Amino acid sequence: MRYIVGYTADARGAEAVRLALALGGGLTGGGEDTHLDLAMILPEHTPFSATYPGGDHGYRSIIAEQVDTWAAEALQLVAEGVSARAVVRSAGSEAEGLDDLARESGAGLIVIGGRPGKLAARMGPGSVATALLHSASTPVAMAPVGDGGAIPHGLERVTAFVGTRPGALAVVQTAAVAARRRGAELRIVSLLGQDGGDDAQLSARRAELQGHVAAVVAEAGIHAETVVAEGRNIEEAVQALPWQRDEVAVVGSSRLAHRRRLFLGATAQRMLRTLTVPLVVVPRDHQPPAPTGA
Amino acid sequence: MTNIESGGPDGRLAVEQTGGLGEKGLSKGAVGVLGAVVIGVSCIAPAYTLTAALGPTVAEVGTHLPAIFIAGFIPMLLVALGYRELNTAMPDSGTSFTWATRAFGPWIGWMGGWGLIAATIIVLSNLAAVAVDFFYLMLAQITGRPELADLTDVLWLNIATTLVFIAGACWISYRGIETTKSFQYVLVAFQVLVLGWFAIAAFSHVANGTAFDATPISWEWFNPFGVGSLTGFAAGVSLSIFIFWGWDVTLTMNEETKDPDKVPGRAATLTVLVIMAIYMVVSLSVISFAGIGDTGLGAGNPENQESIFAVLAGPVMGPFAILMSLAILSSSAASLQSTFVSPARTILAMGYYKALPPEYGKVSPRFKSPSTATVTAGVAAAAFYVITRTLSENALWDTITALGMMICFYYGVTALACVWYFRRELFTSARAVVFRLLAPLLGGIILLVMFVKTAVDSMDPDYGSGSNIAGLGMVFILGVSVLLLGVAVMFYMRWRHPAYFQGGTLTRRT
Repeated sequence: MRYIVGYTADARGAEAVRLALALGGGLTGGGEDTHLDLAMILPEHTPFSATYPGGDHGYRSIIAEQVDTWAAEALQLVAEGVSARAVVRSAGSEAEGLDDLARESGAGLIVIGGRPGKLAARMGPGSVATALLHSASTPVAMAPVGDGGAIPHGLERVTAFVGTRPGALAVVQTAAVAARRRGAELRIVSLLGQDGGDDAQLSARRAELQGHVAAVVAEAGIHAETVVAEGRNIEEAVQALPWQRDEVAVVGSSRLAHRRRLFLGATAQRMLRTLTVPLVVVPRDHQPPAPTGA
Repeated sequence: MTNIESGGPDGRLAVEQTGGLGEKGLSKGAVGVLGAVVIGVSCIAPAYTLTAALGPTVAEVGTHLPAIFIAGFIPMLLVALGYRELNTAMPDSGTSFTWATRAFGPWIGWMGGWGLIAATIIVLSNLAAVAVDFFYLMLAQITGRPELADLTDVLWLNIATTLVFIAGACWISYRGIETTKSFQYVLVAFQVLVLGWFAIAAFSHVANGTAFDATPISWEWFNPFGVGSLTGFAAGVSLSIFIFWGWDVTLTMNEETKDPDKVPGRAATLTVLVIMAIYMVVSLSVISFAGIGDTGLGAGNPENQESIFAVLAGPVMGPFAILMSLAILSSSAASLQSTFVSPARTILAMGYYKALPPEYGKVSPRFKSPSTATVTAGVAAAAFYVITRTLSENALWDTITALGMMICFYYGVTALACVWYFRRELFTSARAVVFRLLAPLLGGIILLVMFVKTAVDSMDPDYGSGSNIAGLGMVFILGVSVLLLGVAVMFYMRWRHPAYFQGGTLTRRT
């Protein structure tokens, strides 16, 4: 599978490369079917922002050389045996450039780093991540931004979060394909917030969720562990779940999304702040590519 | 959109270029003649240049404003023709610093770069100050409380607000946010419309007998020889160079245009016609309406000369004066932001070629913009403003005159660099004789003469606004100390980081 890695020559970019390698199996051996495009997005120059006093000031050649240096450094971060190249693109925004690259190259996943620094992390995902999580047409994987989050080393388990709304099948299928490719376990989780409602209502909703998950699993034709995670609210439900170190969470995008586009829903946003594992967001009606050779 | 790849899909260490990185980031074939004219007018920012330069120019040449504007354009045109030659020969490395280094070697090249940086730093501080004046004026006009306009005279508040404006523009530039097409069109159209409105309103006051000091237009105003003194003429030309500064951007736009053979030339011609028409009409209307008397609304009144529209827009346009405030505020704020790019890039280039310490050559990994260089430009502009504002009562006036001087310096150096760079190919064709020898040589000499003349004249404590320190004119102190600071930094660099000066990073063309 081809990954588009949103690379910047800083800690965030290095994190994105490590995450892509972990998801692609490059750190644990067996990343032969993985290809990384380390993508650097440059701002698009429009003549209407002409610099004055004139001329290019030697800018383009300096940037070009700097980008070459960065590209070489980025490629050094890639583990032995994993195919990779550096790609440079000018685009209106970083999110736009990454999404276009992914669409054009048929990549299966866009991978981006979290936010450097603890303070920044509390503010949730950065501007690039936010833009991507609200508009990309390819699944986006993002390093954890919450406290205690870490980049996994490999992939032992894939956890798909599903609700009762339509779209759960695409999420489960995407997670299943990823798990099968890496030989990881598959877990299907639905979240149950206990706030409001008495015991009878709760057990009714629990049963409804269990039935729904079972139906989706059957429809997808897979075997998986299914869990209903409960807590007073979404955050607590997520935190109550046992997590492995080498795990990734998969969620679908909100109903507000256009067809085949992402839109990070309110629940997913709250999960993002709580999760200690990377999160993959899958566009509505996404068709996961069939696993190749594995 | 451009796509550059390095490394094949199978070998991660095979760094191989499959596309010219130099090609990157330029949207080709995007601009036609109209677009280029809009870009040119926007770079000139006529509403800003007029309010900043009209007063000081009237102070030097009186009613001969139209004459000096036309005379000032000639050296600008001559130099710009040389610029175009250099830009065509070295499109990727282009501006005063690299060009002058390639032609004359490291020392003159270094000072050429410093001159450009100094000029842009000075204009940044002036743009911010003008924006702040009109910000408070507009606040007063919106709220109907005239006393708010006087807030700009409260020293600490004025300095604080100006620093906020500079910091804001610096931040936008650091983030690499660029102006869009529609924004530029609206901004330019609005400026032209408001300036036209002002002129028509001023002329109707003259016709109705309600003008402050109705002065009949005379052909003598167009006679540059009527200025009388060479001092006045030199100062007037320096100021006119400032008001056309920006025009030559149209000539250097090649790859961005739909037809590089035709568009830049036509756009440059059209831009100068448009801008000349604006300057003529507005300067005639100002003098006809207000006269050049030194009392009341007169354009000769030193009280009015720092920012002529701040004083005249109200009496001329009535309640619609707020549009003038908005036009000047928007155009100076937009120029403030776009002008940041220029010194930042030259500082970046000087850091890259080791003419400045290497940290100035840093590029932000996230925004791909010059990081240290942009912040440095912002700090320098802020420092320059704080110093001039504290030292001089007429900071705006003095900085504009010092700016004219600085532009004459680096333009002059660059023009002569053109002649010297092409010295072996000057007589290969008639075209080369005109564009590579005669035009830049003449333009360069005129500008350097103006520079020296202005520098010498400005030692007089009564020069320009009349601000002085210990009997030495403020403009002289500003201009010369900025250049001497450059010389000091240059020698420091020669001592600490000699590689550039030994020709190790950017070589002279032999």
